[in-house]
Amino acid sequence: MTKEAARYFVSRLVTTVLVVFGAMLLLFSLTTIVPGDPATALLGPQATPEYARRFIEDMGLDQPTYIRLAKFFGNVVTGDLGIDVISGRSVSAMVWSVLPSTLILTFSAIGLAVLLGVPLGIFAATHRGSVVDHVLAFTSVAFIAVPSFVVAIFLLLIFSIWLDWLPVLGAGREGDFWDQARRSILPIVSLSLAWIGFIARLVRTSMLEVLGENYIGTSRAYGLSERLVTYKYALKNACIPTIAVLGVGVGRLLGPAVLVEIVFARPGIGRLVYDAVTSRNYPVVQGAVLVVVIVFVVINLIVDLSYSAIDPRIRRGTTSQSQAK
Amino acid sequence: MTTRLDRRQILAGTAASGVVGAMNIASPAAAQDTRKTRIAARIDRDLEVLDPGYRTGPWDGNVARSVFQRLMKQKPNSAELENDAAAEIKQSSPTTVDFTLKPGQMFTGGFGEMTADDVKFSFERITSPGQGGRPDSPYKGDWVYLDKVEVIDKYAGRIVLQKPRANLFDIAIGDVSGCIVSKKAVEQLGTEHNTKPVGSGPYQVSAFEKQRGATLKRNDAYAGAQPFFEEIAVKFISDPKTTELALRSGELDFAVLPPSVAEPLRAVSGLSVSEQPSIAYLWIGMNVEKGPLTDLRVRQALRLGLDVDQMLLAAYNGKAPRLNTLLPPQILGHWGDAPVYKRNVAEAKRLLQEAGQTNLKLKLLILNQPIYQNMALVARALLQEIGVTLEVDAQEGGTYWSAGKGDTGKNLDLFLLRFNGKHDPNFIMQWFVPAQIGVWNWQRWNSPEYLNLFNDAAAELDKAKRVQEVIEAQKLMDQSAAFIWLTNEVNFLVARSWLRPAGVPGWIDWQYDSFGAATS
Repeated sequence: MTKEAARYFVSRLVTTVLVVFGAMLLLFSLTTIVPGDPATALLGPQATPEYARRFIEDMGLDQPTYIRLAKFFGNVVTGDLGIDVISGRSVSAMVWSVLPSTLILTFSAIGLAVLLGVPLGIFAATHRGSVVDHVLAFTSVAFIAVPSFVVAIFLLLIFSIWLDWLPVLGAGREGDFWDQARRSILPIVSLSLAWIGFIARLVRTSMLEVLGENYIGTSRAYGLSERLVTYKYALKNACIPTIAVLGVGVGRLLGPAVLVEIVFARPGIGRLVYDAVTSRNYPVVQGAVLVVVIVFVVINLIVDLSYSAIDPRIRRGTTSQSQAK
Repeated sequence: MTTRLDRRQILAGTAASGVVGAMNIASPAAAQDTRKTRIAARIDRDLEVLDPGYRTGPWDGNVARSVFQRLMKQKPNSAELENDAAAEIKQSSPTTVDFTLKPGQMFTGGFGEMTADDVKFSFERITSPGQGGRPDSPYKGDWVYLDKVEVIDKYAGRIVLQKPRANLFDIAIGDVSGCIVSKKAVEQLGTEHNTKPVGSGPYQVSAFEKQRGATLKRNDAYAGAQPFFEEIAVKFISDPKTTELALRSGELDFAVLPPSVAEPLRAVSGLSVSEQPSIAYLWIGMNVEKGPLTDLRVRQALRLGLDVDQMLLAAYNGKAPRLNTLLPPQILGHWGDAPVYKRNVAEAKRLLQEAGQTNLKLKLLILNQPIYQNMALVARALLQEIGVTLEVDAQEGGTYWSAGKGDTGKNLDLFLLRFNGKHDPNFIMQWFVPAQIGVWNWQRWNSPEYLNLFNDAAAELDKAKRVQEVIEAQKLMDQSAAFIWLTNEVNFLVARSWLRPAGVPGWIDWQYDSFGAATS
């Protein structure tokens, strides 16, 4: 690794840590202004004033934000995300029990979106103005416009009720891979449809731009096959914006993932955060949000670092700059 | 002629075969063979704590009822109690209850036989301060006035109260707070007991996962009659539409649903829909300490300006019964002769004019659910006619349930509240005593007479006298005009035609161990 690359990596890492810290500071500050006391939200009429006070103390809500933040990060360093004051369970255990489900859903949705969106985008770009291009344009926009939970309900009605091909509930039996895989099909498709449309549009636009470059014309003039020109030379340059968007996409998908998890009654970290916010279960909110933020920034860090691997100009550009100095 | 398959064709064919094969694995039809021994029931809140002393609500409590034994328990589909763990139990004096356990009742997990010591531990821990890092039990009130539980011998004991309690059997002994836990298991497992409960009841928890639910497996060592189903999967599904689809597809066998979702299921073959009156109670309350609402005439005008029947029609399609007093009809002490207020616009206007209140502006706080929103919108239109502008303030749960607490509660005008009931009048009445102002008495209604009647009824062991006291208390509430009673709701039970669910009337408390097949 060159000095410049190492410097870049370290600066991105520092930025990552600052982002995580800033996000948690914002979250901790919000918990002091959100109305509603945790005991009442969790227990209803059984929440006596004494119990409510006890909850507040157990959650540390009677302490200043900076002390709570310091204690929280102090525990995080040792892998302790806190204790759920209601059930006594470790928040880490709760998060790790549902995180894989969301990651599988999210990454599978992104994967499916890439698998279908990229070829569709390439096809649209290489058949510009054709009937297929117009149909793809329409369907892409339609996929983007329809919310994923609406898609989910329609898929359930068609495939689970009318055709009876797939189950309704999205949580499979523990340890049964095929049951879990079968139940993941509709949730993954629901979540990925909008991104298929988005990626197809993005790839089409990028490809059209790249296909208009001089070097592409030169490549064709040299007699290279259209297949080689499209997939080896054009796509490689056109995919950089798509990779950048995919990194953001993982984070963006966590929002709709909550709704899909609710519709399919599927466990997930989005649902965990949603339920915890509704019930003011702050230790769970803090721990789960921290994990989500870390996953998001790490993925974006990997995406940023992958640019130089994909595009040698970025690698040579950093080396040249350091040589010029 | 030879047929050549290229790589693409092989891959495509394999993928297609895999998809078709996966679709056929364990289809709902294949589950038919197990439907007589395994069923799946839906709950709409996630299970949190299965230890009866720290449960978070009825959804936890219903699992606890089937995992733990109590000295007495409700008969199937009844509020009447029968012996469970107790061979004998009797109220030997107004403040003492003697019991003798049946021998040979074993806790699961090798935690030994149930003894009177376990009973002592189970009841006293609910009223004692939390130990070992555990908080106090939020259900202290269920065992109010408990002095101690004396252990006489291995199976015999005596519950000693500081004062007589009329509802001791219904709210404490026979309810979830009366569940008998293994002292050894609780001390050994600590907070792990919340998710891995050790009981001696008809079922045991074989699996419990956050956001999925729990699986109840028949406890073969249970000393009583074995439950019908070998296994019951208690599944957490928050969305009613998903529940409806799961019932249609066969993945669920039982659920309680709102009327708008349940009604269409009547036409589905293999499902039965039945309506059961609830013992929850809904009302619109008024903050009697706030501005114009301090005037009785204003409150009476608002009561006359509303049409409760129209509001119920909008919210429940006419399926929910109207409630005219605090206690639903199924509860001891229900005031059957309570006045039924009909809308009277002229009288309402007259009262407002007399009170000097024209162009009144008020806010109605509701929980952001469709049923309440529908009722609130109708209420707004109705009150407009009598010159009251009503702003509807729909809030999410966390904010809503704290809105009446402490100083925040002083700012409330009107609010639509729903509480779950139990088969005891004092349990329902407790939220309206003066001590609950700033807690759950959002009306801030301060009535010493009501408090006296409440206390008298709590200690009155003569049923007829108790009924009279409770009715008098309801009359005071009616005279205050701080309460506009709406409904005690109706539960729509959707089940497989061959399934006979069981629950204490009111259907807040389910009896998983009494679920059976319709022909049994």
